[in-house]
Order: sequence, then C-alpha cells, then structure tokens
Amino acid sequence: MQIDSIPRLTVGCRLHPTEDLLLVPEGALQLGGPAKDILAMVDGKRTVAMIADALLAQYDGAERQEVLEDVVALLERMQQRGAIRS
Amino acid sequence: METISKEYLLTQPSSFIAEVTHRCPLHCLYCSNPIELKRSEGELATEDWVRVFKQGAELGMLHLHLTGGEPLARPDLAQLIAAGRGAGLYVNMITSGIGLTEKRLAELVDAGLEHLQLSFQDVEEASANHIAGTRAHAHKLTLIPVIRKFPIALTLNLVVHRQNIDRLERFIEMAEEFAPERLEIAHVQYYGWALKNRGLLMPTQEQVERSVAIVEAAKARNQARNHGGIKIESVFPDYFGSYPKACVGGWGRQMMLIDPIGQAMPCHAAAVIPGMSFDNVREHSLSWIWKESAAFNRFRGDAWMSETCKSCPRKERDFGGCRCQAFQLTGDAEAIDPVCVLSPDHGMLAQLRSATEESLPMWRG
Repeated sequence: MQIDSIPRLTVGCRLHPTEDLLLVPEGALQLGGPAKDILAMVDGKRTVAMIADALLAQYDGAERQEVLEDVVALLERMQQRGAIRS
Repeated sequence: METISKEYLLTQPSSFIAEVTHRCPLHCLYCSNPIELKRSEGELATEDWVRVFKQGAELGMLHLHLTGGEPLARPDLAQLIAAGRGAGLYVNMITSGIGLTEKRLAELVDAGLEHLQLSFQDVEEASANHIAGTRAHAHKLTLIPVIRKFPIALTLNLVVHRQNIDRLERFIEMAEEFAPERLEIAHVQYYGWALKNRGLLMPTQEQVERSVAIVEAAKARNQARNHGGIKIESVFPDYFGSYPKACVGGWGRQMMLIDPIGQAMPCHAAAVIPGMSFDNVREHSLSWIWKESAAFNRFRGDAWMSETCKSCPRKERDFGGCRCQAFQLTGDAEAIDPVCVLSPDHGMLAQLRSATEESLPMWRG
C-alpha cells in the first residue's frame, strides 16, 4: 500500500451502522481504536494520504508520519483479510 | 426476566438462517433439509418474516442467510431481502441459481442483497446433473458472468464426496477462473438425505487425504496473491476426524434457524433427536425463544455431558460436538460424539468409512 494508493472496500464488505464492526461475507471483523473512522473514509476516491490528513484534522497534535503509518498498517491488515483492495 | 437458573453464560446469537421454503428444483443426493419437508401451504407469510428479521437484529444478530430449499421459489424474496437489510442485517442468499435471471437479480440487489452463494455439484456437467437430479449445471455456468455485473460478493461452493472428489482440483481451477470473493469446499456430512446415500457418497481415506492436500495448496496460492486472491474455506469430513467439530458453533450459542413454517431450531438436523419440540415464531418472540425455549436450552452448558466430556478441556472448544450425529450413530443424543477418539463408539467410524460398496442412488423427491 503506497501513500497515493486509492483503497476501496472489497465488494460485499461494509461497516456495521452502529457497532464497531466490519461486516464481511460470513463474518465480522472487530474494529478497535480509530479503525472505524479510517474505514469510514475509504470510499474508492480518497488516497491513503488524504485519509491520513483528514484523520490529522480530527486528532489534534498527532504526528503526520505516525498517522500515515497507522493508516497504512490498518489497510494492509484489512487487505490481507480480503476486506480492502487497492 | 430469567425464569430458570442457568449455569452457563448465555451468548448472543449472530447468524440467522431463514429457510424460507423447502421447495427446490434440485434433488441432491446429500440434501441437508429434513427428510420430512414442510409443505408450501404452511409457509410463513411475508409479514411474519419481516417481523422476525427485525427481532433478530434487535437480538444482536448480524448475518441473515436466506436459504431453502430454493429461496428464489418465494415470489416475495425481494421484499424479504429489503426487510432484512432494513432491519440492519447483512443479507446473504444461498441458491442453486435455478429461476435467477439478470432482471430478477437486479431487483434483489436493489432490495439490498449483499452476498450470493451459488452451489455446484461437480465440474463435469453429466456428473453434476446426475448428483443434483436435474439439468442445472450449464445454467449455473452462464449465471456467473451475470452475477459479476452486480456489486455483491460471490461465493461458489462445492459439496465433496466420492462421486466428485477425483475432479476436485479441476473444480477449483474452474472456480479460480471466475475469481469469486470466496470458495467453499465442504465434504458432505452424513445427516438427512446424505445419511440415506452414505454408502454411495463416502470417500476413501486416500481420497480424503488427497483432497486436503489439494485444498491446502489452493489456499496457499490464493493467500500469496496480494490482489484478487480468493478466500477459501473448507469443511473436513467428520467420519475421518479424531475430535468433534464445534457443531453450529455450539448448541444455542451462535445460530438460530427458522424453518419454512416458523419453527425455531438450534441446527438443521435437530428434529432427528427424539423428544425435541420447537417453539414457533408465530407464537413467541425470537428473544424469548433464544432464552427460554426448551430446544435451545437442551444442550447448552455441560450438565447433559458424560463425565468424559465434562472433565475434558476441549469442551470449551467443541462444546461437546454434534448431538444429532451422536444420536444417529449411537441412539443416545447425550452420548460422546463418536468422532472423538475418547468415545467408546469411535471404532464404528472405521467400519463406516470402509463400507463403500456401490449402492443405488436415492434422489430426494
């Protein structure tokens, strides 16, 4: 996953409307920390960098590099599980 | 309000299996529906399903699996999908594809369908049609590109047994060409109609071992693909195992099945156990049934277990294995699941595995 990659949710995967869960075919992934906020911004248009910048605006005082690394790590984990494509 | 004291922790159900009809154009040799099918006159009405889907979501359920029989046999299927999705459930449909056209699928996807599972019987047409008892294979193949036009997840599944196991590798190769999101390779388990055809379906030890190697190789090569890898799930045949499976995730722990006439069941096969009676969603709420129904409480916790199981640490993992199988093989629904090496009846599986004489197929009517 590069900072200019455009991630999107794999078809058949979506956030639960109220719980911190990503619903996938035949299962659900528990989302901790900012994971739900990050995935909510995955729309097939924003790049990884744009998602990180939007998060930075929400979390005062965070380091851009750290946030970028967190976003990439989460998206790659989700990609491994087949829930994200880029 | 709790009316009886419960020694176990009551979990929240996550899967709602809705057998919306038992009508089906296929007559598979291993059909998992009960031997006695429910007639269409008694089927729940649209408004009954709408009500129970809402109750299911309120109970914390996440996934709705619309199945049958063939769910497409219900003319109100789009309404059922919209009701499930509207209630907040993730909507999956398990289908033979018979009766599905591009126009019908467009309606179902518009209504909120998110995942479709298409079943296959074999990679070879003549054999596939023989197993299904009808000419369905060619239609299924033409459907896949149609399904791929829509923004829904696709699972292809194959039930594996002696009649098709030697073509498993070819089937997986075919499936990979279609690049579905998921692929399910499930060995047949011997309940319902499959039990009647056990002699015909039972693979050999060598076939099972080969199939495991084929599936593991397919999983590895798909995991190695960063993009477009298919998620492959497999079900190992119980009769070849040494420890029981956590059947349906444990009795009354994760899953609720509502049959076409509204009976709430802890698993597909529960009706084979003598003395079981099922509460009906026409008379009770899902929440009441989950907590209070005798059928759901029958094998919760460990009070019913033999001493061997009660003192075994594996009970936290397998919850005592499969009750229907224990009954069907030993005549005692509380017996140790004979799949377990600790069962005094485990030896019978070796006999049943070798009883692979050719018998005549019995299709379901």
